[in-house]
Amino acid sequence: MPEASGVIHDIGYQRYNGPRLSRRYSTWSIYVHSLRSAFGLGRTAKAKVLPAGMFALACLASLIIVIVSSQLPEPILTYVGLVSTFTYAITAFAAIVAPELASRDLRNSLLPLYFSRPPHRTNYALAKFGALATAVFVMFAGPLLIMFIGLAFSSGGIGDVVVELVDLAPGITAALIHAIVIAAIALPLASLTGRRVFATGMIIAVFLLSAPISGALQSFSSGDAAYLAGLLNPVNLLNGVDEWLFGTTEDLTLIGRYGSIYGVAALLIAVLGITLLMWRYKKVKA
Amino acid sequence: MNLTIAGLTARALLGRRRILLLIPMPAVLIGLTLVGVSTGEPAQQWAPTILGQLGLGVILPLTALIVGSSVLGLEIEDGTITHILAKPLPRREIVVAKLVVAWAVTTVTTAVPIGIAGMIAGSTGLGAGLALGAAVGALAYTAFFLALSLMSRRPVAVGLVYIMLWENLLVQFVSGARALSIQQYSLTLADRLSGDTVLLESTLSTVTAAILAAAFVAIGTVIATQRLRSFALTGETS
Repeated sequence: MPEASGVIHDIGYQRYNGPRLSRRYSTWSIYVHSLRSAFGLGRTAKAKVLPAGMFALACLASLIIVIVSSQLPEPILTYVGLVSTFTYAITAFAAIVAPELASRDLRNSLLPLYFSRPPHRTNYALAKFGALATAVFVMFAGPLLIMFIGLAFSSGGIGDVVVELVDLAPGITAALIHAIVIAAIALPLASLTGRRVFATGMIIAVFLLSAPISGALQSFSSGDAAYLAGLLNPVNLLNGVDEWLFGTTEDLTLIGRYGSIYGVAALLIAVLGITLLMWRYKKVKA
Repeated sequence: MNLTIAGLTARALLGRRRILLLIPMPAVLIGLTLVGVSTGEPAQQWAPTILGQLGLGVILPLTALIVGSSVLGLEIEDGTITHILAKPLPRREIVVAKLVVAWAVTTVTTAVPIGIAGMIAGSTGLGAGLALGAAVGALAYTAFFLALSLMSRRPVAVGLVYIMLWENLLVQFVSGARALSIQQYSLTLADRLSGDTVLLESTLSTVTAAILAAAFVAIGTVIATQRLRSFALTGETS
């Protein structure tokens, strides 16, 4: 038997002894990256066209509302009213962006790369959820900001600015609630499939189908049952929550005396959506 | 029309369990119609919502969007389109075969249930009119979305913006937008073909609707063929 001739050379590999960034840091990185890619930032011009175009359209619509309002004694929409009015169009934005955040990673099998690093599966799910909710919120915040600037600085008095600022606060709160609920519906659906076509289709089916279904149920029934049928439609549900939280007592057109049920339902959808999302990423093959 | 391509497309579209995804929407439509009939309320009160808004306004465009943009879109995304393009076939035949399959699938899964719902809600005439209107709408929609899947890398997103913002939102504020809304064509044709019932509200004239729907089909097919002639295969948008 010949002498063993193999040698292990020391070619100078070294351990990394520097500081290691925390789990929170990598979660934050996923969040920032997802938020940027939601608007196509850091990507090709083609990827920017659609989200930027929708944002510009929303701002333009808000500008038109401000210009029309400035010719009238009373603004045609309050800040909360603006959020309620824009919700339908912004569900389309969520249906386009949510698959962008969730389905691409599934389709390109990127999840093993994420999950072999510090962030947990839950961190990943929450970062993605936060990014989508923030992106949707930005879609509300842009038009709100334009409306605020238009209304607050048109007369020039500093008192007006303060008054408008007080009025703006409910609008911002409503926008936050809408953003969280819309994201909680859209993202779990998007995380089910790696095909963006089907993910967008599923999300939009939920938002679009629920409106006439709840409308039909409302026309079948009268009184209390009609108010409750509105719960089936996410857009209607959110507008009901707005009425419940910020509405004046005279015009409770959507919710009747069931305002609190609308509030609980919205909270339930948000919690359920986030739980399902985390559960989905616990189970997903990576 | 090439039967091999048509067969392959149909198999890719309906194969495995994917076809099950198309069943819930017609089921909801017919279910709600049955509920409506059983409540005994007059049909005028609920039929416009169910037949017009749900049937022609949501289920038809949504199914056509998914089907129309995936007959070619999925092949482009997977890169298998090269196998078809490498065959000595006129591009026109490829596009027509894809369009026919998309139209047939959309018609069977939407126009037929909408027709049945119309029959339950009103009369056989209403059902037939709705089914025909929906079938014409399905052809115009699928031709449009098929062309879109060759013009844009994200046909579903663009198609969605068209359905939600143009057809369902802008049309409410700007009545001129109706002239370019396929939903209004199928609504108008369904209304006229079923004999002007009060259950559907149409706004265009029949001739305008028919001509514009035909124009959508023709232009969609021509654009799709042109785009496929000089087709460059590139990856996903980065």
